[in-house]
Amino acid sequence: MYRYAYISLLGIIAAWSQPELEFFEKEIRPVLVQSCYECHSVEAKKVKASLWLDSRTAMLEGGDTGPAIVPGDPDASLLIETVRYDNVDLEMPPKTKLPAHQIEALEKWVAMGAPWPEEEQSTDSRKEKFDLEKRKNEHWCWQSPISHPFPSVSDETWTHNPVDQFILAKLEQANLKPTAEAKKGDWLRRVTFDLTGLPPTPKEVTNFFEDETEHAYQKVVDRLLTSSRFGERWARHWMDLMRYAESYGHEFDYSIPHAWRYRDYLIRAFNNDVPYHQFVKEHVAGDLLPSPRIDADSGLNESVIATGSWLLGEATHGPTDVRADEVLRIDNQIDVFSKSFLGLTVSCARCHDHKFDAISTKDFYALAGYLQSSRRVVRNLDPHEKISQGMAKLQSLQRQASAEIDKTTISPVQTPTQSLFSFDSGLPDGWTREGQAFPSKPTAANSVSVALGSPKQPFVGGGVMHSGLFGNKLSGALRSPTFTLEEPELYLHLAAKGNVSVNIVIDGYFMSPYHNLLFKGTHLNPKALKQKNAHPEFQWYKLGKDLKKYQGHRVYLEFLDHGDGFLAIDEIAYRKSDQSHLNQLPLDGEANLALSQILTEAKAVEKALPDPVRVLAMEDGTPENDLVHIRGSHKSLGDEVARRNLTALGGEQMPQASAGSGRLQLAESLVTAEHPLTARVYVNRVWHHLFGVGIVSSVDDFGVMGEEPSHPELLDWLALDFVAQGWSTKKLIRQLVLSKTYRQSCIPNPEITEEIVAQIDPDNRLLYKARVRRLQAEAVRDNILAISGSLNQQIGGPSTPVHLTSFMEGRGKPKSGPLNGDGRRSLYLAVKRNFLPPFEAAFDRPIPFTTMGRRSLSNVPAQSLTLMNDPFVIQEAKRWAHVLLKNPEPRARIQQAFLTAFAREPQEAEYEALQQFLSTQQTNYQAGPNDERVWTDFCHLLFNKKESIYLR
Amino acid sequence: MHCRRYAPAPVTRRQILQQGAHGIGAVALASLLNDRSFGASTSILNGKLPHHAPRAKNIIFLYMDGGPSHVDTFDYKPTLAKYNGQNASQVMGKLEPTQFDNVGTIMGSPWDFKQYGECGHWVSSLFPHVAKHADKLAMVKSCTSQFSEHTFANYFLHTGSGLQGRPSMGAWVGYGLGSANQNLPGFVVMNGGMIPPGGLDNFSSSFLPATYQGSIFKAGKEPLANILPQEKKSALQRNKLDALKSLDELALGNYGHESAIESAIANYETAYRMQTAVPDLMAIDGESEATKKLYGLDSNFTGTQTFGRQCLIARRLVERGVRFIELTCPKVGGDRWDQHDKLREGHENNCRAVDQPIAGLLEDLQKRGLLEDTLVVWAGEFGRTPFAQGKDGRDHNPFGFTMWLAGGGVKGGTSYGETDEFGYKAVQNRIEMHDLHATMLHLLGIDHEQSTFRFGGRDMRLTDVHGHVIHEILA
Repeated sequence: MYRYAYISLLGIIAAWSQPELEFFEKEIRPVLVQSCYECHSVEAKKVKASLWLDSRTAMLEGGDTGPAIVPGDPDASLLIETVRYDNVDLEMPPKTKLPAHQIEALEKWVAMGAPWPEEEQSTDSRKEKFDLEKRKNEHWCWQSPISHPFPSVSDETWTHNPVDQFILAKLEQANLKPTAEAKKGDWLRRVTFDLTGLPPTPKEVTNFFEDETEHAYQKVVDRLLTSSRFGERWARHWMDLMRYAESYGHEFDYSIPHAWRYRDYLIRAFNNDVPYHQFVKEHVAGDLLPSPRIDADSGLNESVIATGSWLLGEATHGPTDVRADEVLRIDNQIDVFSKSFLGLTVSCARCHDHKFDAISTKDFYALAGYLQSSRRVVRNLDPHEKISQGMAKLQSLQRQASAEIDKTTISPVQTPTQSLFSFDSGLPDGWTREGQAFPSKPTAANSVSVALGSPKQPFVGGGVMHSGLFGNKLSGALRSPTFTLEEPELYLHLAAKGNVSVNIVIDGYFMSPYHNLLFKGTHLNPKALKQKNAHPEFQWYKLGKDLKKYQGHRVYLEFLDHGDGFLAIDEIAYRKSDQSHLNQLPLDGEANLALSQILTEAKAVEKALPDPVRVLAMEDGTPENDLVHIRGSHKSLGDEVARRNLTALGGEQMPQASAGSGRLQLAESLVTAEHPLTARVYVNRVWHHLFGVGIVSSVDDFGVMGEEPSHPELLDWLALDFVAQGWSTKKLIRQLVLSKTYRQSCIPNPEITEEIVAQIDPDNRLLYKARVRRLQAEAVRDNILAISGSLNQQIGGPSTPVHLTSFMEGRGKPKSGPLNGDGRRSLYLAVKRNFLPPFEAAFDRPIPFTTMGRRSLSNVPAQSLTLMNDPFVIQEAKRWAHVLLKNPEPRARIQQAFLTAFAREPQEAEYEALQQFLSTQQTNYQAGPNDERVWTDFCHLLFNKKESIYLR
Repeated sequence: MHCRRYAPAPVTRRQILQQGAHGIGAVALASLLNDRSFGASTSILNGKLPHHAPRAKNIIFLYMDGGPSHVDTFDYKPTLAKYNGQNASQVMGKLEPTQFDNVGTIMGSPWDFKQYGECGHWVSSLFPHVAKHADKLAMVKSCTSQFSEHTFANYFLHTGSGLQGRPSMGAWVGYGLGSANQNLPGFVVMNGGMIPPGGLDNFSSSFLPATYQGSIFKAGKEPLANILPQEKKSALQRNKLDALKSLDELALGNYGHESAIESAIANYETAYRMQTAVPDLMAIDGESEATKKLYGLDSNFTGTQTFGRQCLIARRLVERGVRFIELTCPKVGGDRWDQHDKLREGHENNCRAVDQPIAGLLEDLQKRGLLEDTLVVWAGEFGRTPFAQGKDGRDHNPFGFTMWLAGGGVKGGTSYGETDEFGYKAVQNRIEMHDLHATMLHLLGIDHEQSTFRFGGRDMRLTDVHGHVIHEILA
C-alpha cells in the first residue's frame, strides 16, 4: 500500500523552455517509463536500490549509491554511467542495454540540466526510515534479564530446584501435569549420553541400580562432570557453532594448519570448566588478554588458541577480486561471531539495514573494522617458557661474541636510500614481531653484531632485523604495518638461509602460499630465497609479476622464519638501489678463536631448545576502520564507521579503540553482568542440548525472526544465576540434569490424554514429559565403538583420516583412514570440508559453513541402510560378538548385551524373540549355538534396534 | 517475499498430523501417510504445493562441468572469424580480468556452423546428433554468472550462492515436491566419473533435511553407498529385519508411542526395498539393442559409452518418478570442458562423449511420451572467452554464454537473449542463474518466491532475493 503525499514544487521549474520540456516528454520520459520504472518508481512492486527515478527531486536525492544525476555533467552522473554499461558491476537496465540513440538522448538531457516539467510529486511510503531505537525497545532480546519472583506452584512436593518451579508453574497454568520419573536405567543412559556422548558401562549401570539413595543421582552427575569425556562431548557442540573444519574447501580443499589444536583447546576448556565469560573473551581476543591463561600441563598460552576459531572458514585460491574475497571472509566471521555469542544475525545487515532487527548496516561495518584490523597468523607458542629460558643464555652469548669483534678491522658501511621501510633508526612504528626468532630491535646503527645463526659469516651491520642473531633454530615472524601498495614491484634487501619465507599479504588474502594463481610473485618460498652461494648474502629480492594487479590495495609484508635458518632484513623499497652493506669478512686471528668457542657453545644451547607449538591465531594488525559498503558492494563505498559493538548494545558509547584492533574492548563489552544476550544465549544452548529444544528454540537467532521463549522468566533466572555462579558451565549443567524436569519419563502422565496435548501443547514446549531424542551423529558412531569394545581412549591429538568410500571423489582427495577410525571418537575424525565422513552426514552432522546451533533432525531410510550395510557397523558387530562369546551361556549373553547397549535387563518376550532369531540364523548358517556368524548377526541386530539410537 | 514468515516444514508424522489439522484435507493426508515418499514425509511445504499446475514432473540436468565454449557450440559469431588473430582489446575494447590473465588474440571457432530444423538454430559441427533435435531446444544465449572461478561458479549454478553451504537445486525440488517413488531418492546424481570442483557440496541439502541431498549413483557393483546387503543369503538379512521389527515394536510402549520411532521402524522396510529397487534400476540388460545403440552404448569411445549409460539410466529414473536427475561428465582425458589450452582436442572429446547420448535421450523420451513431462537442461557454470588463452585455449567467461532447455513446458525452437557480436557479453535479455532456477521451479509448479526454509533468521530460497521466470521460452 502506498501513501501518496503531494508536494508542490518550488523554484527552477519556470526556467525550462518549451523545447527543453518537449525534448523531455518526447525523448526522455518514455525511456524512463519503459525501461526504469518497473524497479524505480512509486509503481514498482519492489523498489530497487532505494532509488526513485520518477521525479527530478528524486533523481537528485538518489538512492543507495548516491544522486542519480549531476545536472549539466553527464560524465559525473551515475545514471549515465550505468546506461553506458561502462561499469560491469552497475549496468542498467539490467537485462538489455538501451539502444545507442536513447543513451545519447539521456546524455543530452543531463547536459541540458535535466529539464522536467512542474507536476505533482508523489512520495513513496516505502521510503520510511529504519528506526533502530524503536526496534530495540519493541523486542525482548535487547532488554537485560531481570530477576523475577519464583512463581508459586500448588504441588510443592514435586520440585527439586528453581528450574522445576518455573516449569511446573507453567504446566499448572496450562492445566497440564508433569509425569512420573524415568526408569533409573533410562535416566542413567540419558544423562550419560548428554554429558559424555557415550553409553554407561554395565558396571556403572549396576552400581547405580544398587545404590537406592537419592544421593545416587548426584554421584552419577558428579562423576560424569569430572570425566574427561565430558569435554569431548561439549567441545563437539561448540565446534558446530565455530563451523570447525580442518580444510578450506573449494576446489583443492587445502588443509587449515593446526586446526586440531583449537579442538583440543575446547576439550580442555570444558573439562576445566573455564568460566564462560573468560571463554568468550579468549575467543574474541585471547591474543590480547593482559594475563592469558597458561595450561598447567603443556605450559602453553591457552587463551590465544581460542582466537583460531575466527579462522576456520572456507577459503579459495585464485580469487579474481581479492577485496571481494576478503569481504566474504569477514562476512562469515561476523555471521559466526554474532550468531554464536549474541544469537543475532548481524550478517543480514551487510547490504542493507536489517529487515527486522535493531541492527544497522553501520553496525555491520563497525564490527568489520575489528576484523579488518586483525590478521591471521601462525603463532609459535613457548612450552613452559623453555625457549625463552634458553634464549636468555643465547642472548648473553651473542652479546659476548659481539664484544669480541675487532672494531678496527670491520666497520659497517651505510648508504642512505629512498626506502619504504628501513631499520636504521630502530623498528619503525606499526611493525610487529611474533615468536622468538626476531629480536625486539634491529642491530644497532653504525655497529657490527654477531649472528650466532651464521657461524661462517657472523658479522652483521647496523639497522638489520635479523632472526639468526641467537641461532638458527628459533621460529618467528616479522610483519610490517598495512600500507597502500603504490608501485607494481617491491624490492627487499635481505639475506636468507634455510626454511624461511616472505609474503606480501594483499587485502588479507593468505592463500598464495598454497596456490599462486593470480598471485605469482607475491610469495617467496624457501626455494625462491635459496642462495646459490654457500653462504647467505644480502641481495635484492623482487616481489612483482602479478603484484602489479594489486596497486592501490592494502597490503602488508610478512617475514617468516619457520625454525631452521634465518632472515635478515635490511631494507624495503619500491626501487632497488646500490645498497652496499657490511662486507662480510672471514674470521681470523684471536678474535676468531674466541668467537669460535662462543659459537660452539651457542650451538649446544640451541640444540637443547624445544620446538615451539604452532597454533593458528589472530593477531592485531594496523588499526583501520571500515567503510560502509553500499548494498554490500566494496566498489561502492560510503561513510567510515568507527570500530564498536552494535548500536543497540551500547556500541556508540564505547570509547574509541586507539591502539590495535580494539578486539579486547569488544570482548569485554560482551561479558558484562547485565548484558542482555551473552548469558541468555549460552544458557539456552545448554538447555537445548539437555532437553532437545531450547527455551528459545531458534538457538542462533534471538531476533524478531527467531522464536519467542517458551519460559521467558526461567530464561532470565538461568542467565542471572549463571552469571552469579561465576559463569560456570558445570554448575549450570548440574543444576539442570538434577532437576525433576530432567528426570521425567517420556511417557506422559496418564491423565494427560492425546486430545488434551493436541489442544494445549502439541510440541511439548511446556515439558509435561521428557522428549524422545535421537543420538547425535557422533554419538551414534561412538556408541557402537563403546559397545563393541573398540573405543580408543586417547584424548586429543591430530585427527585420524576419514575412511574414504568409492563415492568420495574430487580434487584434494586425502589419504583414506582405517574403517573404524582406529576406534577414535568421532570428534577426532578429520574434518575435510570436501570429504566429510558419510556415516555422520547420514545422521545430520552439519556441513561446516556457518554457525549451526541446532542441527536438523532427519529420519530417513539412508540411516537404516547405513546401520544395515555399512561395513564399519558389521565389523564392530563382529568385535562385540567376540566379547559376548566369552560368556558361555546364551541367555547370559543376551542379558549382558542388553545391559551394555541399553542399560537394562531384557524382558521375557525379548529373550524369546531373540532366541527364536538365533535358532533361525543357526539353521540358515547350518551352524552351532556358539557360531561367530550367528552372534555377529545378533550384535548387528542390536545396533539396528531403535533403542540404540534413541534416548528416552 | 523472503521476509514472510513460514512455519518450518514438519518433520515427524505427528507434526504433519498437526499441520494437517490446519491445512491439508483428510484425504490428502491419509495418502501421505500410507504412501510415504522417500525418506521422511516432509515433501509438503505448508501443504500448498504445487503452487500452480506443473508443466513438468521431472528434471534431467545435464551438467557440463568446466564451462563449454558457447561460441564453438550454440552461439554462432561469424565476426570472430573476421577478426581472427587480431589483438583482442584493440578490436573489442576494454576486457574484464580473466582467471588466468593470459589474453591471446581473437580466435574464430575452429568448427563450422550450420542452421538446423525449422527454427534454424545455428549449431556447430561438434553437436551433429543434438542438432537434429534443434526444434526441441529453447536456447538461452544471454546467460551470466557472477563468478569466473569454477568452485564459486559451480556452487552458484547449483545453489544460487557462490559460497559453500547452500542447498542444491535438486534438494530444493525434493523439499518442495518430495519423490514420487518411495524406494528411490528424489535427487539422484549420476556420476560419470568426475566430481566438479567444490566437491559433493554441489549436491548438498545443507540446512534442508538430509533426505533431500543428492544421492550419488555410480556404475559398478555398488551403485549407491550402503545399498548392498552384507549378508551372504537374503534369508539371513530377512530374518534379522523381521526380528528387529518385532523387538522394536515390543519396545514402542517404552517411548510413549513416539511417532519418530514408528517412522524409523518404517524406514527399514523402505531401505529393504531400495536394496532391490536400485540394482533393478541400474540393470540395463533388458533394454533392446536398438535402445542401447540409440544412446551410443555401442560406441568405440568409452566416454560415449559412459555418458550413454548415464542418459539411459536417467530415462529409467524418470520412469520411476525420480524428480531431479543430474548427470556429471565422464572422463575423456583433459580437464572436463575446461579447455584453457588445446580447445580443439578437448572439446571434440567432450562432445563426442555427450552428443549422441543426449540426442538419444531426447529421442527416447519423446518416443515414450516422457519428454512432455520432463525438463531437460543443458548447462555449464560459465562459457568461454571469444579470444584465445595463450595459443589455443579459451579462458572462463561468465559475462555471456548459452544454455538450452527442452521438454516439459518449454517452447522448442525458440532462442532468447543475445551476446554481443563477439559472444563476449550478454547484451540483450540478460539472464542470471537465479532466473534459470526460477524457471525450473516454475515448470515444476513451484513459485520460487514461496518455496522457503527458515534458516539463520531468514526465509531462505534457492533464488535468494532474485529470480524471474523466463516466460519467453515457455510453451
